[in-house]
Amino acid sequence: MSGEHESRFSEAKPARSSGSPKAWLWIAPWLIGFIVFMLIPSAMSLYYSFTDYSLLESPVGIGPANYVELWNDPLFWTAVWNTLAYAGASVTIGTLVALLVAILLEQHIRGCGVARAIIFLPTLVPLVASALAWAFMYNSEAGIINRALGAVGLPTPNWLGDARYAMTALVIMGFWNIGTAVVVYSAALRDVPRSLYEAADIDGAGRLARLWHVSLPAISPAILFNVMISIIWSLQVFGAPQIMTEGGPDHSTYVYQLYIYESAFRYGRMGYASAMAWVQLLATIGIAGLTLALSRRLVHYRAA
Amino acid sequence: MTITSRQLRVSRRAAIGTAGACALAWAAWPRAQRDLAGMPRGRKVLHYWEKWTGAEGAALQGVINTFNQSQEKLWVVRVPISDISSKAMVAIGGGDPPDLVGLFSYSVPLYAEAGAAMPLDSFPEHEWRGETDYLPNIWKLLTHEARPRAGVNTCYTLGLYYNRAHFREAGLDPDRPPRTIGELDAFADRLNAKDAQGAIRRAGFLPNLPAWWPYSWSAYFDGRLFDSATGRATADEAGNIKALEWIAATAARVGRAEASAFAQTFSRSIHSPQDPFISGRASMIVQGPWLANFIRLHNPSLDYGVTAVPIDDALPQPELPRGLLEADVIIIPRGCKNPEASWEFLRFMQRRETQEQLALAHCKGSPMREVSSEFLARHPSRFVGVFDAIARSTRADVLPPTRVWPQYADLLGGAFDSVWRGADPAATLAAVQARAQGLIERASSLRAARAERGGA
Amino acid sequence: MSLPSPSPPRRATHTSRQTALSDRVLLSGLLWLTAAVYLAPLLIMLTGSFRSADAVLDPGAGVLPRLDDAAQAVDNYREVWTSAAADFPTYIRNSLMVAMLSTIGLTLSSAAAAYAFARMRWRGRDALFVLVLATLMIPPTVIIAPQYLLFKHLGWIGTFAPLWVPAWFGSAFSIFLLRQFFLTIPRELDEAAAIDGCSSLGIFWRVILPVARPALVVVALLAFIGSWNDFAGPLIFINQPHMYTVSLGVYMFQSQHGQTPWNLSLAASVIAVVPVLAVFLLAQKAIIEGVATQGLKE
Repeated sequence: MSGEHESRFSEAKPARSSGSPKAWLWIAPWLIGFIVFMLIPSAMSLYYSFTDYSLLESPVGIGPANYVELWNDPLFWTAVWNTLAYAGASVTIGTLVALLVAILLEQHIRGCGVARAIIFLPTLVPLVASALAWAFMYNSEAGIINRALGAVGLPTPNWLGDARYAMTALVIMGFWNIGTAVVVYSAALRDVPRSLYEAADIDGAGRLARLWHVSLPAISPAILFNVMISIIWSLQVFGAPQIMTEGGPDHSTYVYQLYIYESAFRYGRMGYASAMAWVQLLATIGIAGLTLALSRRLVHYRAA
Repeated sequence: MTITSRQLRVSRRAAIGTAGACALAWAAWPRAQRDLAGMPRGRKVLHYWEKWTGAEGAALQGVINTFNQSQEKLWVVRVPISDISSKAMVAIGGGDPPDLVGLFSYSVPLYAEAGAAMPLDSFPEHEWRGETDYLPNIWKLLTHEARPRAGVNTCYTLGLYYNRAHFREAGLDPDRPPRTIGELDAFADRLNAKDAQGAIRRAGFLPNLPAWWPYSWSAYFDGRLFDSATGRATADEAGNIKALEWIAATAARVGRAEASAFAQTFSRSIHSPQDPFISGRASMIVQGPWLANFIRLHNPSLDYGVTAVPIDDALPQPELPRGLLEADVIIIPRGCKNPEASWEFLRFMQRRETQEQLALAHCKGSPMREVSSEFLARHPSRFVGVFDAIARSTRADVLPPTRVWPQYADLLGGAFDSVWRGADPAATLAAVQARAQGLIERASSLRAARAERGGA
Repeated sequence: MSLPSPSPPRRATHTSRQTALSDRVLLSGLLWLTAAVYLAPLLIMLTGSFRSADAVLDPGAGVLPRLDDAAQAVDNYREVWTSAAADFPTYIRNSLMVAMLSTIGLTLSSAAAAYAFARMRWRGRDALFVLVLATLMIPPTVIIAPQYLLFKHLGWIGTFAPLWVPAWFGSAFSIFLLRQFFLTIPRELDEAAAIDGCSSLGIFWRVILPVARPALVVVALLAFIGSWNDFAGPLIFINQPHMYTVSLGVYMFQSQHGQTPWNLSLAASVIAVVPVLAVFLLAQKAIIEGVATQGLKE
C-alpha cells in the first residue's frame, strides 16, 4: 500500500527514528515467523506441486504433470468458476451490505449499541452450530425463510437441494458474517472530519449527496481494506460448503478449497493439491494487485 | 472525597487485568489427565485414534474398558478424532503415529502400498487364526496383495426396508417384497402418491434417498467396477450401464425435479423422527442395519420388513443376494512405538465376542465367520439375519481394492448425478472409465518408479 | 482531524438539519429489522439447545424458546458439561490458555511490526509490506503438513506450542490493520516525545500504544476469537484428549451412522460461545469509548 501520506515534518525527523537497523529489529519477530512458519512450508508445498506425494510415501518428481492435469480436469474448472462466482457475489454485495449496515448503525438511533452487538455476534459462533441453524432456516418445507417467502407469494425454492439455488443460499449465509467489516466501517465513519460535512451543508447538499460526496470518499481507504480482505477470504471459502452441502448438489457448491482438501486427504494426492494451491495463490495475488491498481483512482487518502 | 474518573478507569483496568491473570492461572494450572484417570500404575499406555464419537464412541469405550481391566500390562486410551483421514495421514507421514488407528476399509490399499500399515502376518499368531476367523468378503477387505493389513472393526451392507402397512394399503402382499428390479419399479409406482401440484407426498422408492452410496447400484445388476485379476477399472461394463439406465428411467418416471426436492428435504433428518422411512414418507428405502435401532426409538409401532435389495431381472443365481460389503478397520501404523503391544490389543479387538459386542451396540452385522446364537437373539434388529445372509453370499462383493477408489467413487457419484439430470449412461460411464483407468495407470507407474528408487 | 485529548469529543447530532420524524421512524424500523434478521439464526441455535433430541430437528417447531423447555434445557447443559465423552471444563481451560497467550503475543508483535511499517523508512519496506499481505493469500491446507513436520522437528507435537507460539510472530491481518491506524497518529506526538529524550522504543510504548488503544483492542479481540474458534490447528497438532480445545469439543457429539444429538451439539456450541462473548462485551466498551479517535485514513 504505497500511497501513504508523509507528514510535513518528515525532513525534520531525527535520524534515529528512521534508521535501517532499528527497523529490522522491530520487524524481526514477524520476519522470523514468516520465514519459519510460512515461507519454508510454502516452498515445500511448491516443491510438492511438482511431485506425486501422498504424505504416507516420499514424493516422486513428475515435473509439471500436476499442472497439466489441472488444466484438463473438468472438476478443477468447475471449482474455479464456483469459487469466482461466490467471491464475486460475496465481495460486491457483502461490501454493500456491510457499508449500509454500518451507516445505519451510525444514525444514532436508540438501541444501536445492542444492534451492533447482535450484528457482531455471528463472528463468535462455531461453524458447526451456524451450519445447523442455517440448514433449518433453509429447509424447503418448514424453514422460516420459505415460510416467509410463501406468505407473501414469492417462490419458495429448495435452497440447499437445488443445484440452481445452493450457491445463492451459501452467499446469503455469508452476509451474516459481516461483523468485522462493520466494525472497521464504523470506526472510519466516525473519523470523518466535521468540517467536510459542514462544508457540504453550506453547499446545500442533502443526506444522500453527503453520503456520496463526503462519507464514501472519506472512508475509501477503509473500503479498500475491507474489499481486499473480503476478496482474499472469499476465494478461500471452505467451511460452509463442506459442512452444509458437501460441495453438492451436483457440484454446484464445490469450491476450490474443497477440491484441494479432498485431493490432499481423501485421494492421497498432496502433490496435486499443492499445485492447485499455488495456482490459487498466484491468482489471488493477481486479483489483489488488480484491485489495488484500480483503486488508485477511487481511493482518496486525506492529509493527516 | 470524590473518586476521580481516572481512578475509576485505573481500577477498572486493574480489575480486568487481575481477572485475566486469574483466568490464565486457572487455565494453565497443572491437573490430572482425565483420560488416564483410574489407570493403575506401571502400565504401558497405548493411544488408539478412532473416528467414532457419540454413541458409537461410547460403545467402543466399553470394549476398551473391558480390555484394560482384563490384563495388567497395557492401558488403551481412546482418542476420538473428528477428521481421521487428514490427521492420520499427517501424523503417520510425519513419522509421529499413534499406536493404533481406525480407518475405513477403502483406505487399506493406499496404506498398504505406502507401507503405512504394518502387515499383520509378521506378528505371532496365538489365538488369531487369520483368514478362517472372518467372512470371506471381510477377509478381502482386510488384505491387500495377499497380506493382511488391518483388523476389522464392524462392517455393514445394505438391505431394502419396506413398509408393510403401505403395502397392504396399496393392495400388495406385505409378506412378498419385491425381488427383482422390475417388481421394485412396479411396486413403487403403486405406492407413489403425489399431491395436486405434482410434488411427491409419499415416495414408493427413490434411489437418491439417501444418496450416500451412488456407486452401489451396479452390484444389483452384477456390474463389476474393477477387475482384480487385471487391475483395470471396468466402469463401462454392461451391468454398470444397465444400472445407470435404470436410474435414468426411474428419474424420468418419478420426475427429476420433484424427486430431488423430496430427497433433499430429508437430507438432515435421516435417523431422526422425521426420517423419510420412519415417518412414513417413503415406502421403501435402501439402508444399513442400524436403521432398525432408530425405528425402535422413534416409531416402534411401524410395521416394516427388510429384505435383500432387488436385483436385475435376468441374473444367474437369483436366489443369492447381491450387495457391497464395507467395513471400518484398525491398522497398526508404521513407526509406532511398540508394535507388539498394539498387536495385543488388536487381537483382542478381533475376538468374536468383542466384534459382536460392538456390532450389537452399533446395530450392525458381525464380520466374523462364526456367529453366536446369542448375538442373533439379542440383536436390536430382528432382521439382522437378512444382512448376515447378504454378507455371506458368494455373490456379494467388496469395493474395488485400489488406492484410487475414493476418487473413482466420486467420479461415479458425479455420473449418478449427471444421469439423474438426463445424461446418457453409456457416454457418462465411458468418460468415467477413461479417467479412472488413467488414474489407476498413473498410480501403478508411480509405484514402479518408487520401487525403482528403492523403498516407499 | 482527530487529536486524542485536546479537542472536545465530537458529538454526533446533526446540528445543521433536523432529521424528520418519519425519517427516524423509518431508520429505526430498518435497524430493528436488520437486527432481527441477524438474531434469527442465533435464536434458533439457542432454542435448539433447550430442546430434546427429537424436537430439535423439527424445523417447524418455532424459533423462540418456551417456558416448558426449561427443565430439558438444564438437562442438556448439564449433560454436556459433565459428559464422559467430552470434557468441556478441560476444553475451556485449554482454549482459554491458548487464546490468551496467542492474543497477547499477536497484539504485541503485530504492533511492533506495524510501528516499523508506519513510522520508519528503510529500503524494501514497501515490498516487504506487500509480502505481508501476500501471506494472507496462502491456502492453509497445503502448508499444514510441512508445518507439522516442522513442529515435530522442534519437538512441539504433544504440547500446546504449535497453537500459540506462531502468534508471537505477528499476523498479516493485524499488522495491516494497525499500520493503517498508526499512520493516522500525528507525528507531532512522536516529535514531542523525541525532544523529551525518548528512543523509538519509548515513543512506541508511551505515545503510540496508548493512543492506539481502540485499534489494539480490536486486534486483540479478533485474535482471541480467531484462536478460540481455530479448528484445523488443534485437529492436526493436538493428539491427546485432555489437551483438546473447545472447537474440537463441539464435534464430540457427532455420530457416524448413529443419530447425532443435535440439541447437545448446539448446547456445546453455546457453551463454546459464552467465554468469547464475555470477552467481546468487555472489549466493546473499550472500543466504543475510544472509537472516536480511531481511523483508517492514510
